[in-house]
Amino acid sequence: MSVWRRVLRALLLPTGMLAAGEIVMRVQGYAGDALSKPTDVIVALYRALADGTFARATAQTLASSFAGLALGTSLGLAVGLWFGLSFVARSLSAPTVEALRTVPAVALIPLSMLAFGFGVRMESSVVAFACIWPMLILTQAAVRQVEPRLLEVARMLQLPRSGRISKIIMPAAAPRIFVAFRISVGVALVVGITVEIAANPYGLGYLAVTSQQNLRPDLMLATILWIGLLGWGLNAALHGAQRRAFPLAPDRVAVPQQGTR
Amino acid sequence: MKRDPIPGNGSSASGATRLRVRFDRVGLDLGGRRIINELSFSLEAGEFVCVVGPSGCGKTSLLRLLAGLYQPDSGAILRDGKPIDGPSRDVAIVFQDYGRALLPWRTVAGNVSLALEAAGVPAKLRDGRIRSLLDQVGLGAHAAKFLNQLSGGMQQRLQIARCLAQEPALLLMDEPFGALDAMTRQALQDEVGAIAAQTGAAVLFITHDLDEAIYLGDRVLALVAGPVRGQSSLARELPVALPRPRDQLASREDPEYLRLRRELFELIRDERP
Amino acid sequence: MVGWNVGGAFVTLAVVLAWSAVARLRLVSPVFLPSPEATGQALWAGLNQGDLASLTVGTVERMVVGWLLASIAGVVLGGLLGVSPALRTYLQPTLEFMRPLPASAIMPVGIALFGLTPIMVTAVVAFGAIWPVMLSSAHGFSAVEPRLTEVARILRLSRLAFLVKIGLPSALPDVLAGVRLSLTIALILAVVGEMLASQQGLGMAILLAARSFHAADLFAGIVMLSVVGFVGNALLQACERRALAWQATT
Repeated sequence: MSVWRRVLRALLLPTGMLAAGEIVMRVQGYAGDALSKPTDVIVALYRALADGTFARATAQTLASSFAGLALGTSLGLAVGLWFGLSFVARSLSAPTVEALRTVPAVALIPLSMLAFGFGVRMESSVVAFACIWPMLILTQAAVRQVEPRLLEVARMLQLPRSGRISKIIMPAAAPRIFVAFRISVGVALVVGITVEIAANPYGLGYLAVTSQQNLRPDLMLATILWIGLLGWGLNAALHGAQRRAFPLAPDRVAVPQQGTR
Repeated sequence: MKRDPIPGNGSSASGATRLRVRFDRVGLDLGGRRIINELSFSLEAGEFVCVVGPSGCGKTSLLRLLAGLYQPDSGAILRDGKPIDGPSRDVAIVFQDYGRALLPWRTVAGNVSLALEAAGVPAKLRDGRIRSLLDQVGLGAHAAKFLNQLSGGMQQRLQIARCLAQEPALLLMDEPFGALDAMTRQALQDEVGAIAAQTGAAVLFITHDLDEAIYLGDRVLALVAGPVRGQSSLARELPVALPRPRDQLASREDPEYLRLRRELFELIRDERP
Repeated sequence: MVGWNVGGAFVTLAVVLAWSAVARLRLVSPVFLPSPEATGQALWAGLNQGDLASLTVGTVERMVVGWLLASIAGVVLGGLLGVSPALRTYLQPTLEFMRPLPASAIMPVGIALFGLTPIMVTAVVAFGAIWPVMLSSAHGFSAVEPRLTEVARILRLSRLAFLVKIGLPSALPDVLAGVRLSLTIALILAVVGEMLASQQGLGMAILLAARSFHAADLFAGIVMLSVVGFVGNALLQACERRALAWQATT
């Protein structure tokens, strides 16, 4: 099937459903505050983009999420590398890591509120905590999964430890580490939005909640749509970057669940 | 040299004795290319026909045509005079990649049971049949095991048992022993020969191993690459007039065997690109 | 092996001791870092005399009900998607677009539709938790080994027989993985839902504890939430191991 036909088929259902919803709402004269006509949502989307509402909220969300992402992933990367390379560190830390991993990031929202009040710091600390774990675990796995044959080659060549790490292990593990980073970006966005919806008066999540409270379902749905586009766009951009930089990386990597090492 | 089926072995005698399959100038296109071109041959109940040829020349597609999984693009495949229009339960395929053709979540017995369930055999009768089939292939003691507890040879035997459960009139084997070590291969060759003799089914056996083809077959069909790269057509049919039952040592030292071997070898070699 | 586990336990103990020292030395304000002893006491008191237990049950109930609904619907819908390439062409792109959408973003819509009620929380939990199950089930059902599909054609298995005997067992690893991920999401959404809708549960409890500066209670609540997450996951993993025993490599 040609690309065009596939694109058309893909768009058929959503456009069909939206069109149907539009017609039903117009005919019924729907005036509730839970849902909104698709055309109204599009208009709200356009307006919010034009007058900077979305720009401001997006900047806030991204600022906190990315700050948390940077902190969490660098920590996770450093510790993950350490654990990956050192059997002793890995084994001794395992119970502690497993215990800390079980803490759901949302459970830390009240604690973060208590410590930092509201704002960027509060959100980014929760995001950072959430991002540490996928990065740590997957980096550790990436280092450990380096093809053993390559490590034997390193020994035969008598590479020093630093050389082994920089010339063989890091390049071999890099693709999977990038995938881990991609996953962490997704986590960062999701957790950030969740924090905003639950508590933080800041960013896109908060905008969605206030729209609902102000009985503006069109803006609420537009915000949710925008969040979806943001998430999709980020993922697509990273996926593209991954394909160019690491053509051999796996598309999806499963985060090993609790109880496994 | 045809063999008459030994009666009373649970084989559907009517299906086995009357089967006659004919390839009539069959052509097949795959991926825009003509893979099989003007292929004609025939196969009867009780015959053991081996097909040899270089890799990628359509041998596997040949099997799928016979199984009814593919339809020919030109020519006709006739079974007892009527064209084959789809798979039928009395045609069984033994695949080379046995691991992928078996159900890892079922035991050995469960895997054989699948064929019986598909045929609607009631549960009470299934157990007895499964047991006798497993005994036939030598897996009687392993009925409760899972695939990951079986060796390659055992898994292939299991696949054969499941195919036998279909009571096939036509047994198609796609390089079934290619992934096995030499000793297992020899043992299974003799087992398959014995099973074929017992059930009286027609057997089409694909292999790239010339020795195996001559050792097992009543006839050897040598496919060669056609005028276009990747295409196959029939070069020669070699009847194998060696006495049965075959023996790994005696048959392979038979002067007739050596003559056939040389002839087949030269045939394939001369046609090599 | 045992040696390393013991060593690991010691490390954990060391971490707890360090935490205790930090709290005692007031390196971090006790307003937001209670000592482990205080946390333990709050846990004990809450479970024995207080309502920590019933709060936990409340959260677990909301999580499980929503998760069950989502899992069943997800497997069925995912199965339908998985076996029908036609359906997939029409639906997959939309679903892929919705995959990175944070489940919690649905919360305002839920509130608009159902108000700040228990129904809202269950609905949002179910809606959010359905995606991992549905998507991974669709993947599992669509990725049945082609060789087995050929075997099914040769044996002339009916559609239903194929789905039950081959499709479902083949998809089971993916389905179970999706179900497990679903539970994690269900917990998160249940907690956020409680926070927003003031439902009796751990989420509400830790929010109140934070607002009234009861750090030990807050930490006790966090511990309970971790336990819920851990136990749920462990139970599912055990089920998974039994259901997929045939996968074990000897």
